Parts: sequence; C-alpha cells; structure tokens
Amino acid sequence: MTARRRILGLDEKQRFMIALIAPAVLALIAFQIVPILAGANASFRDWSLHDPQKTWVGLKNYLHVLGDHDFLTIVLPNTFGFMFASVGLSLVAGLMMAMLLNRRFAGRWLVQTVILLPLMVAPVIAAIMVRWMFNDQFGVVNAILGLFGIEPLAWLTQRWTAFFAILLTDVWLWTPWFTLLLLAGLQSLPPEPFEAAQIDAASPWRTFRYITLPMLRPVMVVCIVIRSIDAFRTFDIVWTISGGGPARATEVFSIYAYVEAFQFLNFGRGSAAAIIGAIIIVVFAMLLYRILNRWVEVSK
Amino acid sequence: MKWGSTIMRRSLVAAAVTLAVSAGIASPSSAQQRELKVGYMKNPIQDASLDIMDKWAKANNVKLTRVAMAYSVFMEKVTATLTSGNDQFDVIWHNDDWGQLWQKWLEPTDDVSGMENASKWPLDAFWSDQKKMTVVPMAHTVGTFFYRADLLKPEEVPKTFAELVSTGQRLQKEGKVKWGYVGGMSMNNTWFSLWWSMWANNCDILKPLFERDNAKLKAANYDPAIAEPCHREIVEYWWDAINTHKISPPGMTAYGRNEANAIFMAGEAAFTLVDSTHFGEFNDPKRSRISGKIGMAPFPVGPRAQVPTSWNEIWGWAIPKGVPADRKKLAKDMLGFMMGDEEGQIEMWKKTGGPPPNVKLWDKIAAQDPDFRMLKHAVFDQKPVTHSAYYFAEWPAVHKAYSDAVIGALSGKREDIGKFLQDNVEKVRRAAQGN
Repeated sequence: MTARRRILGLDEKQRFMIALIAPAVLALIAFQIVPILAGANASFRDWSLHDPQKTWVGLKNYLHVLGDHDFLTIVLPNTFGFMFASVGLSLVAGLMMAMLLNRRFAGRWLVQTVILLPLMVAPVIAAIMVRWMFNDQFGVVNAILGLFGIEPLAWLTQRWTAFFAILLTDVWLWTPWFTLLLLAGLQSLPPEPFEAAQIDAASPWRTFRYITLPMLRPVMVVCIVIRSIDAFRTFDIVWTISGGGPARATEVFSIYAYVEAFQFLNFGRGSAAAIIGAIIIVVFAMLLYRILNRWVEVSK
Repeated sequence: MKWGSTIMRRSLVAAAVTLAVSAGIASPSSAQQRELKVGYMKNPIQDASLDIMDKWAKANNVKLTRVAMAYSVFMEKVTATLTSGNDQFDVIWHNDDWGQLWQKWLEPTDDVSGMENASKWPLDAFWSDQKKMTVVPMAHTVGTFFYRADLLKPEEVPKTFAELVSTGQRLQKEGKVKWGYVGGMSMNNTWFSLWWSMWANNCDILKPLFERDNAKLKAANYDPAIAEPCHREIVEYWWDAINTHKISPPGMTAYGRNEANAIFMAGEAAFTLVDSTHFGEFNDPKRSRISGKIGMAPFPVGPRAQVPTSWNEIWGWAIPKGVPADRKKLAKDMLGFMMGDEEGQIEMWKKTGGPPPNVKLWDKIAAQDPDFRMLKHAVFDQKPVTHSAYYFAEWPAVHKAYSDAVIGALSGKREDIGKFLQDNVEKVRRAAQGN
C-alpha cells in the first residue's frame, strides 16, 4: 500500500473537501466580507458619495447616529415595533393555516397552492399594489368600506394607518413562509402522542396546547429568529408604501441608513448607521435565540 | 508521420490566412463604427432628445446605446460611476437638483456648438468652481399651472389663492369635478403644492429670500424661513384647502406626482400644478380622460405678492471627465448637433411637450402653436422667475428636513402649525450645515 501524497500538510481527502467549499468561501469573501469591511472602513471616514475625501474621522459618524434624537425615538422604536408585530402576526396566521392544511379535506391541494401565491410576488410589486389599494381616491379598500357606509380614510397620511398598511403587506407576504415551514414541522411529528391523547379523550385545544405546540417549538424558534432578522432590515415595502412618512412617522432602520447614504450621499454616516443596525440585530438575535432555546428546553 | 505533419502545417497556414483575410474584410467597418453610451431616465422627452442624437449617430456611423435607469436610483448610481472615474457612460442625463454635486466630475461644455442659443438662467446650477459650464440643455422643465379648459374660460382662471379656493368650490358644488386642486406633496414632490405656493407668496426656504449665492447663504448661517409668517401662511393655506375648504383630497399630503396626475387625468380635479413635461401625457387619449381639454395659466398669487412668479429649469446632458478624449469629442459633436437641429427640437415639443433648449425657436413655435403660446405666457413670460432648488451639496438633506417639518405640521392641528414649524427651524438649519 503506497502512502498518500501530502501537499501543504493536507492529504487528498482534505484537499478535495477544500476544493468543494472553496467556491462558496470565495463568493462569501467577495460578496459579503469585502463589502462589509469596505462599509466599515467608510464608516470611520468623511466619505460623501459625490466628493469622497476619505479622511479619518474616528467615531464621529457613529456618535452622530447614536446622538440623533429621531434615530433613537422614532427609527428604532418603529423598527422593533414593526419586527415584533410582523413576526408575531405572521407566526399566528401561519400556524393557523398550517394546522388547517394538516387536515384532510377536499381541494386541499388547491388551497395549498393558493396560500403560497404571495411567496411568488416580489415585495416591491406587492407594495405598489398596496399603495394603490389604500389610495384614498381610487383604492379598493375605501371602496369596500364605502359599501358599509364607512367614510373613506386617507390611510397613508397618519402614522398608525400607514403603519397598518405596511404591516398588512408584510404579514400577507410572509405568512405563507411560516405556513410552509410549520406544516413541514407538523407533518414530521410522531403520531403516538396524538393517538394517546385521543384515547384519553383530550379536547382539540388541549391536544394543541400540550402536545402540538411544545413539539413544534424547535421549528418555531428557527422561524422566529430567521424572520426577525429579516424583518429588522425590511426596506422595500416601507420605502414603496410610505417612504418612511408621513414626516418620518413610519421610518425604519434600513430607510434611515439608505437616506443617509444614497439620498444625502453621506456614505460614511450611512455606513455607520448600517453597522450600528448590524450590531443591534446580532445582539438581539443572540438574546432572542437564547430566550427561545430556553423556552424549548423548558417545554421538554 | 511526415505526411501527417505536412497536412497539419498546411491546415494551420490555411486557417491563419482565412483568419487574416476575414479580419481584413471585417476590420474597416468595425473599426469605423464607434459607440457612445448614454445613461438616462426612461422618459418620452429624453427619448425624443435621443432620437435627435440618433440621427447624427446614424449619419456618422456611431452606434448610440441607450442605458435606461430608474429615477429612484439614477443619481446614486451615476454618482458612484462618476467618482470611480470609469467610462461606463459617455453621456449622462443631468438635472439642476444635483447640478453642483457633479460639477468636478464633468467635462466643460462651453465649447459645444449651439450653447449660445440656450437660456442662461437655468444654467446657474451647472457652473463648476472653475467657471466652466458642465451641461448641455435637453429641454426646459417648468412648473406649470394646468386647468380644465372645458370648464373655465381663460378669464375665469383663478389669479389668487383665494380665487383658487372659491373657483374650486364652485366647480365642486356644480358637480363638475370632485376636487378643486390636486398636486403632489410628499417628499420629492414638494414643488407641486407647497413650493409653488411658497414662491407665489413671496417666500422661500432659506433667508435671504430668493438668494442662491452659496457664500451669502452661508454668511447668513443658513437661516430657515419656514417659521416666517409668509411661510406659515402657505402651510395654513394647504391645511385649510384639505380640511376646511375641502378643495383638495384628504390624502394629498402623501401624494406623489403619479397619484396627483392620475386624479387630474381621470377628470376629477379642476386644477393641478406639475412640470410642463407632463403636458403630453395629459393629452394622451389612451391615458387621459381630459385629453384636449387642458389649459395653462400663470400661477395664482398669494396675499404677499402682486404678480405671478415662475420657475424655469432644464434637463440636460453631460459628459463625464473619465471618458477618453476621442469619445468626448464625438459626444460634443453629437450634443452640438442636437442643439442645432431645429426641426428635431420642434418635433420633440410636438411629441412630448418638452420646450426646446434653443430659446431662439420659442417665438417661432409660439407663432404656429397655440399650446406653446399658452405655455410661454403661463411660464416663460412671467417675472420674477426663481430657481426651484438650492445648489449646495446638503440640499437633499435640507429638502428632506423641510418636507418632514411641513408634512408633520399639515398632519396635526391647525393651531399647532406655527409652533411645529418653529420647532423644526433648527433641524432645517442643521441639515444645511451638514450636521
């Protein structure tokens, strides 16, 4: 038996493994790591997009963002409020639909297909549709309300009604995603506990409360963490429906960073805002994961 | 073996000869066909201007490539291209809104033929620090007060803010329209309600009023005028128009120009104010119910002014500095042709409603075309004329701070407007100072 030839201390199997992951690692470095480092570099510099001086300014951009009253009192509360509301509502609606689709009934395949349709719509297209649906003159929402004698509303001119339109769009877009994952989770649950519950004549609610929900928690944790991170950085639907208005009332973190970087062309400040947002969401995701993990452990 | 290598050698020689001959045949035309890439926004006026340039391109064996970009990303994308110094575009769309931001990245255009026929006023935004011009005008973009000519005779068109309310209400009561006035108001649509009325009430965003000299504005510490009585009056005017007189839709504070135009084109509003460049769209029977029923008139005047005001700006074309010298020359020749093509410019006006960049043509067109005569009277003949933006780097931030302040004031109670504007004075000032 001949000894395997080693290059740079790696045997053939190790080299093959490296060759397999190399393209993905290179893509990650080129399209994730390098832009993040470039953005981080810009955040410490006086870097306007139209006239990049690139002089070192230390933490000036960070201090500006963290000292911005609107960032602290409007943007962050809006971002977290949107995230909690959207994830919470999508989770509940997704779970309800998954429970429904987990039962056998005529036309189930059709309902499954229809429910998944929002996943096939680009968020920006959905947002444009919603903006017109909530238009106070031409919108279908006011037209329907009018049938019940309700006065037309100028939805996008007030904070909470505009926020409602944005939230509704996001929930509509993401509920199918929750449905899909939770349905997969439901279908993978072992049948024995449910059969035992049936023998014990447990009510459907108690079966759901004490068997389905605890067993589904690991899937729900993954869904909540992934979707929370995603909701934190939501940009397209807010930008299209309200532009962060009226008067910044629906502005979220990603709009703040975008406006600084690409409307005011202050790339340094926009990058600082983006890095601050990234740190916030990393810390938040870690905390959330620990809390939810504990919840899963307790449920075991 | 020897036979095989001979065959191989002969084959290689034959292939080389074939390649050389075919390259020789192909090279004259491909070497002569040069390419110019134009980065622009997809818009009928810009396409019409490019159609003029295309005539020159075809006659000079140049391939004109149009690279369309969305308005919402145009400035950001092209700014990044310019600062990187590459030659992705030979010609780009240029606008007074970002006139000063690009001045150091653009080739001087003083030597483009036909520039002497351009109006000088709208070029103010495009001078470089070295006192060189950096744009070639494509078409004028002017705020224009449109009215329903089928509902009102020219002499009945409102001349004051008060008449705008009374005439609008009368037409509403008669059931001829649902709304008196509709116009864009949200961020980046501020011109079409708040700003035209602000200038028409002899007011402005910063003090000294109507000053556009950056040194003087800086010396005045970028003092905002938004809490001044002349400005508070216009915010109260729009609050009343929406909530008290109800001549404007309740959702107007969130409208962009698309929503406002849709309402006007549906025949549901008597008046609007938007860029003249929308005149063609309003008269397109496939898209508009009021095609052929639109008149243009001078802006109604506020209580603090005696005569109508107007603004007069341009869309233009510019050449990035990073473009190689030979293509710069080609681009200048092409733009010079565009400036000199009277027939093409008249055609552009007829097709799109874009007023030609050669102002010497205006009287000629006005003599033949009643629509242009109307536009000329409504806008170009009105004095004083103002600039519809400021020309310093922080202008986008000032615009945003202003918009947030005024939309916030309009979203609250009428009695709080004065305080709300006062509370936002420092925000506008800080935006102008880059803080």
